[in-house]
Parts: sequence; structure tokens; C-alpha cells
Amino acid sequence: MNSIEYSDEILSVNDLKVYFYLDHYYEQGLRDVFISVIKNPLEYFFKQNEIFYALNGITFTLEKGVRLGILGVNGSGKTTLCRCIAGMMKAQQGKIKTNAKIRAIFDTGTGIMPELTGRENAMLLGKLFYPEEKDIKSIVEEAIEFSDLGHFIDTPFKKYSKGMQSRLILSLISSIPTDILILDEVFDGADVFFRNKLAQRMVSLIEKTGATLFVSHSTEQIKEVCNKVMVINQGKVHFFGEVQDGIDAYMNLEPSKTQTP
Amino acid sequence: MNFHAESIQIWELTLASLKSRYRKTWAGFLWVILNPILMFGVQSLVFRHILRIDIPDYLLFLIGGLLPWIFFSTTVQMGTPIFVSQGQLLRSFKINPWILLAAQVLDSFINFLASFLLLLIPFFILSEKSLTLLFFLPIAFIPLFIGTLSITITLSILNIFYRDINFVMGFIFSLLFFLTPIFYPKEFIPPNYEWIIQINPVIYFIDPFRLIIYNHDLFLFSIAIVKGLLLAIVFSLTALWVWKRKRNEFYRIL
Repeated sequence: MNSIEYSDEILSVNDLKVYFYLDHYYEQGLRDVFISVIKNPLEYFFKQNEIFYALNGITFTLEKGVRLGILGVNGSGKTTLCRCIAGMMKAQQGKIKTNAKIRAIFDTGTGIMPELTGRENAMLLGKLFYPEEKDIKSIVEEAIEFSDLGHFIDTPFKKYSKGMQSRLILSLISSIPTDILILDEVFDGADVFFRNKLAQRMVSLIEKTGATLFVSHSTEQIKEVCNKVMVINQGKVHFFGEVQDGIDAYMNLEPSKTQTP
Repeated sequence: MNFHAESIQIWELTLASLKSRYRKTWAGFLWVILNPILMFGVQSLVFRHILRIDIPDYLLFLIGGLLPWIFFSTTVQMGTPIFVSQGQLLRSFKINPWILLAAQVLDSFINFLASFLLLLIPFFILSEKSLTLLFFLPIAFIPLFIGTLSITITLSILNIFYRDINFVMGFIFSLLFFLTPIFYPKEFIPPNYEWIIQINPVIYFIDPFRLIIYNHDLFLFSIAIVKGLLLAIVFSLTALWVWKRKRNEFYRIL
């Protein structure tokens, strides 16, 4: 899967910056706040907050048909970027321009009410993912069929292994195409057999999808799925371009320049 | 995501949690309304027969204060840990977090409604009181519902940063119960302590109930509703403000 005709722009990200104050992490509870205030009120109220930039000026555009692999070491800002594009987080600076419908998945080991059965969880998640879909029942039934869980589907979700949970969730999210699909390290739970089966379904879904953002640490998966690669390092775009070049750029990141505070 | 989609999501979540709780039988439902009814029974015994608070129709007086209070305090305490306990779900998918809380509040609201009516209706059948004023009762639910939801959202966000908030809230509620005119009337409070009641936000959500089912005073009721609504708006703006400030860190820490 190499060359594809790029037509119109579906997403544009311009100089995106997200920062955090690091002071929150010192206190675990109100008891700690109480103790710090009593111990040293001046320091508590006037201390300098250290700022950490998770995204420090990210700019790129995405055209229809692009399947963008995002590579970067832990803490480089991949997930923060995906959450901003998905609309979960808000950048303090910069702009994201898109009219697309966006679906984003960051983890697949999640049921919603663990004491309910797999089928009931699937139905509920289906309604949460696709609230305005008319025939949600047949969509969910099809996903259940695809997940190959057999009679386990009617046992409580909390008894599932991590892999079984991820089978069900992955089957469910790959049911309906959308404009932009964000997949953040989602293939990790499923076993290799299911992964192969799923990969085909994903590829056909991705083909029907406008554009895909695919975060993974596996360069193999990136090669399999993507036709463009972006490497993020320390909250900045380190590389944007062809897949193989991107993987090389990622491999050649200097360890000293990848550290995050 | 628009409002229509979100209300579908809230309703589906509420249905699922009702189903999950009552999945066995009627006994499950009975269990949920048993708590407020027992609480009511014990308090009416203690305050009416042992401490002998002397006001007419004490039971009706108590229903109007105690039941909204139980709804408020249990909902806030059940809702506050939800963002943390459902953290994995919120991190995994793009789901508006407040939907989970709205479903929780709606769930307790249905329980509240059931136990409230169960206690209230016999009184109105037995007493000669006019039923027409009860027509206005649904209005009293509005500030209580919005206020409870907004306070729960605020505390639930803060609970991510300070994990012991619910423990502290349990303590605060046990203090607040005595400082809120629930089992005693406002008129019992000496003038120099009245400020304690005035700064207590909970009373503004409870007052409308008492005014309509006990005092039957439509004029005071409408004033109380306006006050309650204004306060509910203040709390929802606070919730919005906290969310805007904390939403990025919300996902980072969760």
C-alpha cells in the first residue's frame, strides 16, 4: 500500500501547544494540602509552578486517504496530540481545523459495567459509540460474531482475560467507518491469530475511512498499516514524510535528545 | 457530538445501571428505597417521640426536608469517585465525562422519586390537604437536580487530583446534616445564628419541597425556586469553570 492520490485536506493542525503545571503532582490528597498549608503557608501560596510543554508547536496537515503512523518515545506527546485532535483535550495555543467526524480509541481493555455480560457491555458501548445509529443491534451482533468469543459472550465481562476484552472492543470499534480514525496503541492486547483476522477488517475499515492516525511502537505494524509517518520528539514534529524514512528517523533519535522532564 | 446524541447516551447508561442493579427482581428495587424509608422511620421516631419536637404534622414536615437531603448527599457521595473509578473508560474512548455523572444522578433521581412518592402519597390520601399544590412539586426538582449534578461534577473532577475528597465529604455531610434545618424548622434558630443557615447552600435546594408539601405557600415557594435556580446556575458555572481549567490535566492524571 504505497501511493494514493491525495485530494482534499481533512485536518490541519497549526502551532499546537499544550502545557501543564507540575505542582499538582506533589499532593495526593486534601490531607497533603492541609499539611503543606499549615507547615509553610507562604511557600504554598507563592511557590513557582514549573511548566512542562507536552506539545510545543506541532504543525501538520492531513489529506483524505492518508494513514499516518505516529512514532515517538514514551512521553513525547503522541497521546496528548491525539487527544487534542479528538477534542478531549484543549490546546492552550494553536489551532486545529477540521469538519470531520472523529472516532478515537486509546485502550481496548475497557468494559463499561464489568458485572454485566460481554453481550450487554457490547450493546451499551455500541450505543455510546454510535448513539445516532438506527440499527445498532445488528451492528453489535455482527461485531460479536466477528469477535469469535462463542459462549463467553454471555458471561460477565469482568471474567474475561485482557485479550478477550480487547477482541470484543476491537471488533466493535471496527464496525462503522468514520472520517478520521485515531488508534492509539490499540493492537497490543489481542493475540496474533486474532490480530491477523482483525488486520484485514481494519484495513478494509481504514480504506473506507477518510484518514487514520495510528500510534504504535511497532515499526512492523506501522509499515503494514500506514502510508505516511510522523515522528514526534519532545512535543515537536521531528519528521513528516515517507514511511521508511520516518522509521529510520525514529530509530536514529539520539537518546539524550529524547528525555522528558 | 450534539445534545441529542448525548441525551441518548445518558439514557442508555441510566437504563443499564438500573438493569444491573435490579437485575434479579423486585427485591433489588426494594433494597434501594429501603435506605431512605428506614432513615425516615428512625428519625421520625427519635425527633418526634423521643426529643419531642413540637410542630404539627411532623412526619410531613420531615419528608419535605429529609428526602431531598438524602438524594443530595448520597448522590454527591456516589458520584464523586466516578471519574476515578471509570478512569479507564474515559481515557480509552472519546466520551464526554459528564455523561457518566448525569447518568448516575438520573439513576439516584429515579430512586429518590420512587421513595419520595411512596412516602408522600399516603399522607395526602389520609390528610385533608389539597392536592392541587402538588401540581407545582415537579418544579422543585429542577434546582435540586441541576445543583446536585453541578456539585457532583465539580467534586468528581477535584477527586482526580485529591483522592481523599470523598472521605472528607462524608465528614462534611455529617456536620452539614445538623447545620441544615432538616429535622427542625428554620424558625427554631436564634437570630444570632441565622447566618449559619444563610451560607449553607443545601437549604436553598431543599426549601422549595418543604414550602410546597408542608407550608403550602405558593408565594414563598416561587421565591425559593428563584433562589434555588440562581444558586444552581452559580454551581453549574463553577463546574464549567473547573472543567475548563482542569480538562487537560484530567486526562493526564486519570
